[in-house]
Amino acid sequence: MSFPTSESLIKVRGVLNNQAVSMLLILFAMWVVLALLSPYFFTVGNISEITLQTAVIGIIAAGQTLIIISGGIDLSVGSIFACSGVVGGLLFQGTSNLFAALIATLVFGGLLGAVNGFFITRLRVPPFIATLGMLGMARGLALIFSRGIPIFGLSPEYLWIGQGKIFEVIPVPTIILLLVYAIVFGISRYTRLGRFVYAIGSNAEAALLSGINIKWVILAIYAGCGLLCGLSSIIEAARLGTIQPAGGSGYELLAIGAVVIGGTSLFGGEGTVIATLIGAIIETTIRNGLNILGVNAFWQYVVNGAVIIAAVSVDQWKRQA
Amino acid sequence: MSSFSTVQSVLKLENITKSFYGVKVLRGVNFDLRKGELHALLGENGAGKSTLIKIISGAYKMDAGRTFFKGEPFPSNYSPKIAEELGILTIYQHFHLVPHLTVAENLAITAYTSSPGLFVDWAEVRRQAKVALDRMRFPLDPNARVKDLSVAKKQMLEIAIALSKNAEIIIMDEPTAALSRNETESLFGMIDQLKTEEIGIIYVSHRLEEIKQIGDRVTILRDGNDIATLDLREAELKQIIALMIGREVTSNRKQENSPLQNPLLSIHELKTEHFPDPVSLVVREKEVLGITGLVGSGKTEVARALFGVDRVSSGTISVDGRKVDMRSPRSVVHSGIGYLPEDRDSQGLCLNLAVRENLTLALLAKQKHMFFDRDSEKKVANGAMQSLRIRARNVLQQVKYLSGGNKQKVVLGKWLEAGCRILILDEPTMGIDIGARNEIYQLIHQFTQSSKRAVIFISSDVDEILEVSDRILVMSNYHFVGELDPRKTSKQEIIGMCMSSAANERFRLGQAS
Repeated sequence: MSFPTSESLIKVRGVLNNQAVSMLLILFAMWVVLALLSPYFFTVGNISEITLQTAVIGIIAAGQTLIIISGGIDLSVGSIFACSGVVGGLLFQGTSNLFAALIATLVFGGLLGAVNGFFITRLRVPPFIATLGMLGMARGLALIFSRGIPIFGLSPEYLWIGQGKIFEVIPVPTIILLLVYAIVFGISRYTRLGRFVYAIGSNAEAALLSGINIKWVILAIYAGCGLLCGLSSIIEAARLGTIQPAGGSGYELLAIGAVVIGGTSLFGGEGTVIATLIGAIIETTIRNGLNILGVNAFWQYVVNGAVIIAAVSVDQWKRQA
Repeated sequence: MSSFSTVQSVLKLENITKSFYGVKVLRGVNFDLRKGELHALLGENGAGKSTLIKIISGAYKMDAGRTFFKGEPFPSNYSPKIAEELGILTIYQHFHLVPHLTVAENLAITAYTSSPGLFVDWAEVRRQAKVALDRMRFPLDPNARVKDLSVAKKQMLEIAIALSKNAEIIIMDEPTAALSRNETESLFGMIDQLKTEEIGIIYVSHRLEEIKQIGDRVTILRDGNDIATLDLREAELKQIIALMIGREVTSNRKQENSPLQNPLLSIHELKTEHFPDPVSLVVREKEVLGITGLVGSGKTEVARALFGVDRVSSGTISVDGRKVDMRSPRSVVHSGIGYLPEDRDSQGLCLNLAVRENLTLALLAKQKHMFFDRDSEKKVANGAMQSLRIRARNVLQQVKYLSGGNKQKVVLGKWLEAGCRILILDEPTMGIDIGARNEIYQLIHQFTQSSKRAVIFISSDVDEILEVSDRILVMSNYHFVGELDPRKTSKQEIIGMCMSSAANERFRLGQAS
């Protein structure tokens, strides 16, 4: 690979170093273009729809960000999403206890994530394989528990989580999304755990030799990511009014995509949580925009995949500098 | 060329010079090799041995000088490939074998990869392998996979490959470094066979006794010059060491004998998979304990066992009388021990994190709260950067952009800020310029001024061991073979001890002085 290294390109590289900023600019540019193409795009309704649509993937991507910064990857998020949703949904069907159902969804998601962490730290299975195995197992469990039948009959209180609005404008999922990002950002920046995640991703051996309890950190972030999958599952169930045991497939692509579009390096040790949120909004904007423009929905997958490749190639290009 | 010397010399080098980035590594070296002779190359690290053999094997191009193979000048486009065609073959320390293939497949790799048809001619592969193995008196199973072979057998296989390529000169670089006593003996048997087959051997080793045992002549290199070429049947070990070092070296650390301090760290009968016998040592307060030995003598393994990296099977470590939990580096860090590893880039630093984040890593690892204060972290990092004189743009600069010396200061700073009391420094000045070296010596000196502190200083550089240490332990073959007072010893004595085989004069700590 060789790129021309003229003056202008060097300048572009300098600006691109702060990928969060450049991604934000790209996002605004996309909005401007879409607004020009469609009068419907820049309405309050549509913008709030975009944030709403971002919530499901964005929340998963927040957990995925910490994992990728640590040098790992979680391919099982879509399956954990479905499995934890089914477990909570079945509990709700049996007991009609909303609180217990929500807690069960979150806890079960966290548990499956912790099992990922166990595979990686205790059995020393590489994250890619451990979570690939979990992708199969959690999906199978979701289908076994639900006997393959979607769960219906969620109460209005449950549905409010996905469809309610604060002050009649701001969707509840948007609020949850922002809260999640505030918390995960806080963890990444102000806690020892967050610092250790960066250190492990940068050089696990050096982190170990500095006295960091690597196994505990890895376990915590995979469990945390599982828990966020559960939370995301609750929101989707509440929006759709049903829990699908086959739901969430392909979400790993979207979640990992949001992380890398945000500029977090798959090599570990570099990246920021907020950039992932921007990445997730970019992904939603692409889907939303193609929709509005009347492009065949299947093209969304193609475009989304291409954007991910582009984002990583930009990362590689900067690395060469 | 005078016909006399070319008749018996299979290889002759005249006035070879070579520089890297303006630094002269070889300053006009002469060397010649006769048929059926083992000619050893000897010298300290950096004397130019490996550069010389790389020029012979075609890996490097010389700057100036003349090279002859059987009286003929080397071809102008000399390369490793041409060297091989001429019959000059190198047995590397890191084997150039294909691990997943069998012995036979490796031996017949040319037939294996370049058979004209689509299919491998297995009969030909087996035939070639048999021919090559039959030449050797050493048994090798042609069907064994290379990855399952011991180091010694891999070496034998390399030699067999060299023979199958009609070698006339075989270059061996530290061939016994990873061999056991018995394996070394069978290698020497092989070498005897090679000599009777009229093959010339260039042999690089630190182990003097070995060279004495099997060598015919030795050329001693020092600072890129060939100091002398001696007949090994006549030369004495003392004479060789003196030529290698070149000058009478004594410690320039002229400190008054301080009163004997209390033991701070004691290792008692520690055993890991690396050590055939348990090791013990004591470090006293305010002491810099130097541990030296050749590469592969077990110095780093002591550090790794002590720091909880390698699993300890028996023995205890105590700091200030309290037993240390050795399950992991984490638990060892909590008892006040810090470890500066040999390879700072791959083990000591998070290269794409900032100076600040590296400086506070061990400190944060020791703390217990969930949150940490970013402001006080900044203050700690800024303070450390000033007091250690780390030259970086600011504390936010990524560590990977720092020079070697500054990187090493960051690793040191990480442990100083974590408030550790015992520092294990493994080759702390390797690859660091002289200025930063002295700064690191200064920091070690300052560190040990306070009570309840000590340093274990591991280095294979004998000059610096003499300069920095209060007491010196010498390691050879995973045993401590000597305990020395730097004020009463010499470089010659230390190097002699390093090179002596541990089996002959096993030394138990406590018997000394």
